[in-house]
Amino acid sequence: MTTDREQVRSLDDPEIMVQTPGTIFDAIPPLTPRTEREAEFYDLSEGQMFVNLGPQHPSTHGVLRVVLKIDGEKIVDLDPVMGYLHRGVEKICENGDWHHAISNTDPLEYVASMFSEALPVLSAERLLELQVPRRAEYIRVLAWELNRVASHALFIGWLALDLGGITPILYGFAERDEIVEMLASLTGQRLLFNYLRIGGVNGDVSHDFLSRLGDWMSRAGVRVNDQAALMNENEIFVNRTKGLGVLDRETALHYGMSGPPLRATGVPYDVRRAHPYSVYPELEFDIPVRTDGDSYARYLLHIEEIKQSLRIIDQVLHQMPDGPVMAKLPRLLRVPPGRAFAALESPRGQYAAYAVSDGSDQPFRFRIHDPSFFNLQAVRSLTRGHLLADIMAIMASLDPVMGGIDK
Amino acid sequence: MLNTIDDRLGERLVVPPELMGDTIELVVRPRDLSDVMRTLRDDGDLRFELMADLCGVDTGLTMQVVYHLWSPLCSDWVRVIADGLSREDPRVPSMVHLWPGAEWAEREAYDMFGIEFEGNRDLRRIYMPPDYLAFPLRKDFALADDASRSPGAGIRPMERPVAPADVRAAPAIRTSAGTGALIGPDGERLEVGAGNAVRPAALESGEGAP
Repeated sequence: MTTDREQVRSLDDPEIMVQTPGTIFDAIPPLTPRTEREAEFYDLSEGQMFVNLGPQHPSTHGVLRVVLKIDGEKIVDLDPVMGYLHRGVEKICENGDWHHAISNTDPLEYVASMFSEALPVLSAERLLELQVPRRAEYIRVLAWELNRVASHALFIGWLALDLGGITPILYGFAERDEIVEMLASLTGQRLLFNYLRIGGVNGDVSHDFLSRLGDWMSRAGVRVNDQAALMNENEIFVNRTKGLGVLDRETALHYGMSGPPLRATGVPYDVRRAHPYSVYPELEFDIPVRTDGDSYARYLLHIEEIKQSLRIIDQVLHQMPDGPVMAKLPRLLRVPPGRAFAALESPRGQYAAYAVSDGSDQPFRFRIHDPSFFNLQAVRSLTRGHLLADIMAIMASLDPVMGGIDK
Repeated sequence: MLNTIDDRLGERLVVPPELMGDTIELVVRPRDLSDVMRTLRDDGDLRFELMADLCGVDTGLTMQVVYHLWSPLCSDWVRVIADGLSREDPRVPSMVHLWPGAEWAEREAYDMFGIEFEGNRDLRRIYMPPDYLAFPLRKDFALADDASRSPGAGIRPMERPVAPADVRAAPAIRTSAGTGALIGPDGERLEVGAGNAVRPAALESGEGAP
């Protein structure tokens, strides 16, 4: 499989010797295997072949390349290749101040960026031991839950699209478009909001936003039931999701999974309840849990979570107090030294940050934990033995967002 | 829970367990890490089954590997810090046999910090290209083109206080994509000075300056 290649001086850095690069006709990998696992994976047995999926394939939901090892139609093993979207966000955050980190973490989770931009905010507030005005907390919860509904609506459409059904994605996008326009009225941006601030939010709710929200809320409950009626008992959809990609409780926990994939296996782990933040302890909502652990259970959980989010939005609108939306903070924010782990429940699971501060205005270390990264990791054990066509359905049911995975 | 942890692991911790907000912090030496983690996961009274996070930290003096664990029995996180890894050769036992999900997180920590996780069968770079040699999140990896720290005479032509016509005459200096080193106009390596403000000899001597 592999040959010893000639060592030449790198064009990039003359003091570095590199192997001559492989040509496109070479069998993958072009370099000698670096690890035991890689050597094992790239060793083909009789009748097996490699199929390269991505990095531009639409069903990988971003720029993910998956090397599939198949035997006929059956998947023997797979090796995801990541890094196409790597921007070094953690390093950039360490080199900017705490406020810059908000807009730098924004594009991580580009489907629901209200969650990823909350990471520097929540971790800095923990280090500062800051009391955020209650109105700001309610506005945050409102923005988060709206964004969760938008993300879940898109997920449902995407899952159906990867199974060949085009109608649901049109409904999903219609729903999501209405929400992002609403959020644009609140924040000024449709997708990358840059709205949360350390100590509050950037601006109060406007009349335009509230009237759009009221209008949408009057229809949202019906719309989600329509969505469920369209898909829940569709024979093709059920046949291609039920019993596929089954996870058990132990595997999901030991793979560090969170969000709907973990709750579909019967673990009621939701950061909003497990480690409450913001005003979630004051709100009434359930954590839907299923025990089947398959793609269909994950899909049903998304529908139920939309309903719970609508319930939260309804309570927030009734309970939101008056008052300021920003705490008083110095312009040059020096965060006291210490370590803080802040987590929140994003549509994909537990989004978390481990921040180390050295007392300056910049984070010393800002680690971002992305739930899609850990959920995607399980795809190898989920798809083994399944058919090639089902890998799309299984991956879509885990709902990975590559912006967060690649950081 | 704090007392239970102290009871089971007390003698293997560097400092007594401390409750910081909603996180119990444990500091261990790398050689005790496997034992401590196995106890935390498998002990019936602890049951920290979910690895909520694994990351590397470069403190500038030593390397650390930081684990965050969640248990259905406990309302707090547990943070385990494997402290005191040497910066020259950071090594720590892999946790893949306890949490298979640690595999990619360990690959990421290896990619970013160069920490060797002994026992991880797939320890290769995950984000950076395979022929990349530097470890970008280490504190000694300076961003050579970082405008926010540049004292004005940075290596980027746009940040130099000279007219555009002179910029074109100035020799091309670039940052290696693989190692982060500065490469001069003739393909030679340049030394990185304090503050990343490298002025090539040609500019210092006045050639091309107004």
